Amino acid sequence: MSEPANKRTPTDFLNSILGQRVFVRLNSGIDYKGLLSCLDGYMNIALEQTEEYVDGELRNRYGDAFIRGNNVLYISAI
Amino acid sequence: MELSVAARAALYNTPQAAMATPQLLPLELIDKCIGSRIWVKMKTEKEFVGKLLGFDDYVNMVLEDVSEFETRGMSKRIASRKQILLNGNNICMLVPGGRGPAVD
Repeated sequence: MSEPANKRTPTDFLNSILGQRVFVRLNSGIDYKGLLSCLDGYMNIALEQTEEYVDGELRNRYGDAFIRGNNVLYISAI
Repeated sequence: MELSVAARAALYNTPQAAMATPQLLPLELIDKCIGSRIWVKMKTEKEFVGKLLGFDDYVNMVLEDVSEFETRGMSKRIASRKQILLNGNNICMLVPGGRGPAVD
């Protein structure tokens, strides 16, 4: 099957945002912003300089944080 | 009428035979949507509308120019994002070319 040139799979996306500032929204509605240091196919995520937002308000800061992938709703580059 | 293996192969390899194929697998339908806008409804009261850039076997999706909606009660847009990777785990329904929920 021919692949459209603009096709971008989840793996391509993850590789492209490594090392960037990202926004992560969990299923619970809690948001995290931080520097994406590594991740895997389960969407397990390691963040640096992490900020935790509850209802849009900054609640906590963490130097390093690990988020288990099953909680992740989506990841977005910022 | 019995056909030889070669004759049958020739028959099924014609473009006409391929075009007449009635089966389109669900994920083939979604594959056809790559590059166009799609409406994603989650198991929870959340919906996303954006351009589909790609997806994988778990139906994790990469979306561009995304609007996120909360559909509890009246629908309202709660966020806009340039590009996201949406976890496929909580996806319920995909609507090709979807305009999204009516926003009050």
